[in-house]
Amino acid sequence: MSIEAVDARGRGLRAHRQAEAVGLGGVLRRLDWLLLLALAGVVGYGLWAIDGITRHDPGGSAVTRQGLYVFVGALLFAAALLVDPDRYFQLRRPIYFGTLGLMLFVLVAGAATRGSRRWIDVGFFTFQPSEFGKVLFVLALAGFIAERSRSIASSRAPLAALGYGLLPIVLVFLQPDIGTALVYSAALAAVLFVAGVRWLHLGVLAAVAVIGALAVLWLLPAAGVNVLRPYQAARLTGFTHPDNDPRGATYNLRQSITAVGAGGLRGRGVLGATQTRLNYLPEHATDFAFASLAEERGFFGASILLLLYLLVVWRALKIVAGAGDLYCAVVAGGIAFMFLFQVFVNSAMTMGVAPITGIPLPFVSVGGSSMITNFLAIGILQSIHLRRGQRRRG
Amino acid sequence: MASSNAPGRFLPGDPRTTEPYRLTPQLALRVAILAFLALGVFALLFLRLWALEVLAGDRYLAQANDNRVRTIRVEAPRGPVLDRNGLLLVTNVPGTRVELWPADLPKSWPAQRKELRALAEVTGVTVKEMLTQLSRHGQDPLTPIIVQNGLHQDQIFYLNEHGSDFPGVRLQDSYLRRYPYQSLAAQVLGYVGQISAGEYKALRHKGYVPTDSIGQAGIESTYDTYLRGKDGKAQLTVDSRGRPKGPTTSQTQFSPGDALRLTIDIKLQRAAEQALREGVRLARLSGIQGQHADGGAIVALSPKDGAVLAMASYPTYQPSIYVGRKDAKKLAPVLDPKVATAANFPGINRAIDAAYPPGSTFKPVTALAAMQENLMRPYEVLPCTPTYTAYKQKFSNWTPLINTGMDLQRALAQSCDTYFYELGRRFYVLPADRGHPLQGWANRFGLGETTQIDASPEVAGLMPTPEWRRKAYPASQGYGIIDRIWKPGYSIQLAIGQGQMLVTPLQMTRLYALIANGGKLVTPHLADDVELTSSVGKPARILRRFGAQPAQPTGVDPTALRYVQQGLEEATHASFGTSSGVFGKFPIDIAGKTGSAEKNVTLPGYPHPLNLTQSWWCGYGPFDAPTIVVCAVIENGGHGGSAAAPAALKVFEQYFATSGNTTSHASD
Repeated sequence: MSIEAVDARGRGLRAHRQAEAVGLGGVLRRLDWLLLLALAGVVGYGLWAIDGITRHDPGGSAVTRQGLYVFVGALLFAAALLVDPDRYFQLRRPIYFGTLGLMLFVLVAGAATRGSRRWIDVGFFTFQPSEFGKVLFVLALAGFIAERSRSIASSRAPLAALGYGLLPIVLVFLQPDIGTALVYSAALAAVLFVAGVRWLHLGVLAAVAVIGALAVLWLLPAAGVNVLRPYQAARLTGFTHPDNDPRGATYNLRQSITAVGAGGLRGRGVLGATQTRLNYLPEHATDFAFASLAEERGFFGASILLLLYLLVVWRALKIVAGAGDLYCAVVAGGIAFMFLFQVFVNSAMTMGVAPITGIPLPFVSVGGSSMITNFLAIGILQSIHLRRGQRRRG
Repeated sequence: MASSNAPGRFLPGDPRTTEPYRLTPQLALRVAILAFLALGVFALLFLRLWALEVLAGDRYLAQANDNRVRTIRVEAPRGPVLDRNGLLLVTNVPGTRVELWPADLPKSWPAQRKELRALAEVTGVTVKEMLTQLSRHGQDPLTPIIVQNGLHQDQIFYLNEHGSDFPGVRLQDSYLRRYPYQSLAAQVLGYVGQISAGEYKALRHKGYVPTDSIGQAGIESTYDTYLRGKDGKAQLTVDSRGRPKGPTTSQTQFSPGDALRLTIDIKLQRAAEQALREGVRLARLSGIQGQHADGGAIVALSPKDGAVLAMASYPTYQPSIYVGRKDAKKLAPVLDPKVATAANFPGINRAIDAAYPPGSTFKPVTALAAMQENLMRPYEVLPCTPTYTAYKQKFSNWTPLINTGMDLQRALAQSCDTYFYELGRRFYVLPADRGHPLQGWANRFGLGETTQIDASPEVAGLMPTPEWRRKAYPASQGYGIIDRIWKPGYSIQLAIGQGQMLVTPLQMTRLYALIANGGKLVTPHLADDVELTSSVGKPARILRRFGAQPAQPTGVDPTALRYVQQGLEEATHASFGTSSGVFGKFPIDIAGKTGSAEKNVTLPGYPHPLNLTQSWWCGYGPFDAPTIVVCAVIENGGHGGSAAAPAALKVFEQYFATSGNTTSHASD
């Protein structure tokens, strides 16, 4: 140990960027192996599940396609390991405005599918910017709040972060993609929460959010102002009374609950799962994948997936706690909560305890954008974990 | 802390001197809160999953099974209809029909409209018609509506090939009625149609469903319960768009409808229908009297048991117009009032559903009643003159070329009106406590009430009485006393079957059956028995025999009846008989009476009603042991002897040409 090092340690300081280049051995040693295991479990289980879910669909099993997405996602995951999260902090502005630009582009020029503009068709692949945007959004927003960490107790820093956060949320909402907008909002809330915004301010924000939701769903329509299209409002509130309109807005929900319930303890198997096989359960490869899994694999099968998810969330929260600096902690918190939020809203929606929104089930729902984004998110978590011991700005 | 708290104030913070980041208690608390939140969320998910899958699993499993399995009805073939000799009058051919299952139609209106339009293009049924039917079944999204029956092969191919474009549309095997003899006995047979909303409501408790076919008239309606059979049930696995997946599995077999054997003889029926056409033709040829002849009816009855041997109505139609593809143009004569009027209502069964004044064919009733009431003796001679005057009114005889006295037999044979006017007057002057015996006897002989034949619809006709007159012309509607009282002229007119009296051809046939069989009133019937369909063509396995109801004695004096019978025999054989020219040379001894009844008729194209003569002939043979009674009416056909009698003769000719019929009829 050099004298400088002794001196630095004596003054409570540590050399900056001591382990700038983490070698392969170091990476392997410092990886959160439990998280990696959970990830592998979720991905593998998801592939197996989706194979059964889509086997009787017109296009045949989607497992090959999904496998390709997993492959691309794994590459991105590996790449994310190599990137120091500090780079994201430095690039927060380009990331932020780049994401915003893409979303605007989608709004203006995106191919219109199913009445909403979410996709960009790049030939071999329809690319969904708002899905990738989730992670980018967290990276940028965490940066904005981390640079204001000293004034976090004042009301200015949270307000500024709020301002930065609301802009992409509104753009996603306009696509219109309420589900993803909700995910963004959840991420924003988590970022503010982990960054240390005062309880009072959080309380005020929560109150405003509740009042806003009430206004959008009940008060403004009563006054004749419709922020949401009627079908959107019906889907959001339909889960509270699924039998009201069995052939209309809540048709999907009823079929989904029936599918879940019919699964029983052990499931009906791929062939016996008539709700999925005969297409009573719509969108069973994407939005309602959980219901389909529950029908085919029963309570046991669905529980395994939930337990794997719980494992991921637990490891993510561990990473939040052990992050090398505030920025990393906020990023990890945002990602962890976003993940939890998506798992909850999607699976709860199929069981009739959350509004119906088009949120994919992480690592299970068929879809490239979602799969790759989730890999990237976990990659970033691992990257944060890798560099957990390094000295960072406070 | 002081220097690091505000690094931007005078010097940029030296990265090496900034305070190291460490987990603050505040962050630790918040991470812990997130962890608890996560645990809570997963606990909720597990609980809900447990509740749905394990606690309520059975219920949802049943629901899921309900979803995919659709119970469909397998239509039972309707039973055939046979004539008395077992020849097929009505049978079935297999067909295909298009059904629309409302639950499987596209949920969005534009998509639904698009599909209905495409379906309209294929079937020719308008979107409007389909929507009307759909809204009628709106309460029940799981019962199909029938868009069209009897599809063409190319329509079937098209719909099968483009099945995915037609969610909710299903092709279903069905049976179509076939009429090998085309229009033969059309009104008797009736037709089969889809159950109407009203009928469904009334019959729902008997197991009818909205897609059922049901007999709509004639014996198809009366014997629907036997003919319809019992539909089977099958289960079909379908996907969410209602498209069948996999095979149909039969749950309960259908049982085909039973065969119905009628008392009608196809050959005689055909002869009667030809005779009707011939009668109308003859009437038109006969000159000014019958120039408007355009319709009529013939009934042939067994006088012993009331079995209907033939029942013809003219004009007629093809029952096949109701089968399969509906053609509005072909259906117009039976459905559109305007077209029907122009075609003189081919859908009406004139034998039971039309009433005419009977004219002179009623005279036997007057004679019998007068003898029963001791108002006349058969050998009593009454004047037959060109006119008859009573109560300052002059009533004319049908012919002015007569002036002689007549007894009953001759008065019947020559159809002397003044003889019967006098009898009518005698009935009129009866004291009030004697009631109205003429109408009373007419009633006993089955006039003024329905015959209870097993076909519908049937009208009762009208037997006017003073009481009826007071009721039919109420003072409350402004009728004066002069309209409401029973005037002597009414009784006098009634005696020769004129005035307001109305009878159906079947009622008159039944009356002459009574004269032929010695005074017993028979109940006319069309159905003989119900047989197992599979036994058709083989020795019949009879399931239920309807048989004849026993003829009811009417208490008429046999001696009085004998006089009337002889009068009728003279009418067809004596030199002065009104139809001797027609029946005199016929080898079988036929007895019968002509009738030429005046009726005010409104014809299409004429502004005012015309007073036209309805041509009647009723009679039976062989005289000594009658086996058949025939009544013929030619509407507006002029004198009975010139149109109705020759038509009736044709029926006798056919009947007696068949060996064995001369002695006794080969009825059961």
